[in-house]
Amino acid sequence: MQHQIEFGPSSAWLKVQLAPNETIQAEAGAMVRHTSGLQIDTRLNAGRKAGLGAKLKAFFAAIARKFLGGETMFVNDFHGPQGGELVLAPGTSGQIMHQLLDGQRKLFIQASAYLASTGDVDTKLRFGGLKSMFGGEGLVLQECTGQGDVWINSYGGITEVPINGSFVVDTGHIVAFEGNNLNFKLRSAGSSGGFSLKSFLFSGEGLVCEFTGTGRVWIQSRNLNALVSWISPFLR
Amino acid sequence: MEFHVLYRPSHSLAVCNLNPNETVRAEAGAMVSMTRNINVVAAAKNPADGGGLKRLFKGLKRMALGGESFFTNTYTAMNQPGHVSFAPSLTGDMIVHQVQPGEQLLIQGSSYVAAPDSVTIDTKFQGFKGLFSGETLFFLSATGQGPVLMNAFGAIETIDLDGEMVVDTGHIVAFTAGIKYSVVKASKGWISSYLSGEGLVLRLQGRGRMYVQSRNPSEFGATVGRMLPPREN
Repeated sequence: MQHQIEFGPSSAWLKVQLAPNETIQAEAGAMVRHTSGLQIDTRLNAGRKAGLGAKLKAFFAAIARKFLGGETMFVNDFHGPQGGELVLAPGTSGQIMHQLLDGQRKLFIQASAYLASTGDVDTKLRFGGLKSMFGGEGLVLQECTGQGDVWINSYGGITEVPINGSFVVDTGHIVAFEGNNLNFKLRSAGSSGGFSLKSFLFSGEGLVCEFTGTGRVWIQSRNLNALVSWISPFLR
Repeated sequence: MEFHVLYRPSHSLAVCNLNPNETVRAEAGAMVSMTRNINVVAAAKNPADGGGLKRLFKGLKRMALGGESFFTNTYTAMNQPGHVSFAPSLTGDMIVHQVQPGEQLLIQGSSYVAAPDSVTIDTKFQGFKGLFSGETLFFLSATGQGPVLMNAFGAIETIDLDGEMVVDTGHIVAFTAGIKYSVVKASKGWISSYLSGEGLVLRLQGRGRMYVQSRNPSEFGATVGRMLPPREN
């Protein structure tokens, strides 16, 4: 599938050229424009090869996604007998990046960073541990596997950081990460390990994610939680 | 009169150069700075709005449907050249469309920023309010001759259409009247259109120029809005 990412890094959108009967799956609400002849099929964000039991499980996962991950419960499939052009954009200002999954890669993306995917790319919801829910700064992840393209959106610019050893990122700045022997652990920023309520409440950094091993992480230059905290006192 | 757009595309600022005694009309609240000799008339009468009650009615209609300011202001350079600069509220680009005689440009209500009086801005065009999608759509019509300054949320794509295109209502900026529009469901059924998150879309058909913005204000509002604390009281 041919694609272009235009107007980055601040106002990026994704333009794809669909071949006849080729399908792209996109986050609900992301459509900007498309040529005539494309149709939209809306379905539960449940993965493609789900059976009945798996669908039921997926239904609850979709609800969990909506309330915890800030992700919509539904996804749209765009396709058409003649193909066509489709443009997709995320809600916030920022960049879009493309990743090609070859069947071997296992990519973790922050749930709200998902924009679109093709092929048999499957997304499963993962939580970064129970304490990640604390204070609404949680890390809700989608594990992407399979073969095909994935497009990921960010708030702000994207920096790719190779990890060999250990590296610390604020949870609100994580876009995606991968690595076969990359482990991650959530902790408050001020403590050297574990969870300290004092540093969580007073450091102003909330939760950070500590990665150890080898792999890479993509970080975004803005944090939506920080924007929300900044705006909130102005609202009356 | 001419517009120059600086700092594109994210933090655009439009500078309008005026010859002696020339006037530019702009959306209230958009002015950033101006030279000393500019005479501002707030809530200036728009000749296209007619007089008295008719004008009030049109202003109210515009406000209810378009999110457009109730009033426009005029800026006149008294006796000498002068300039006024304008900026929109949202982060994004601004673009100038030159309206040709005989041409009509339909502008999405909140995208209009400024134009000289040689361009007639009319509010007679129909609007639309989505019942359960909450989307509103209202077009201003620009006719006459001269530049029209428009703003966008995000970047602007200029398309010369010859055929058909489906555009999300939150992403349309403007299009020339050679293009006909209809408001249709994004998907086959009402329920699926609602669930798809796209709701209602514009089906544009014909030949002409259209402008599309890369961000949707309602999508941004929904993304940030659901993270905000509930309002007190």
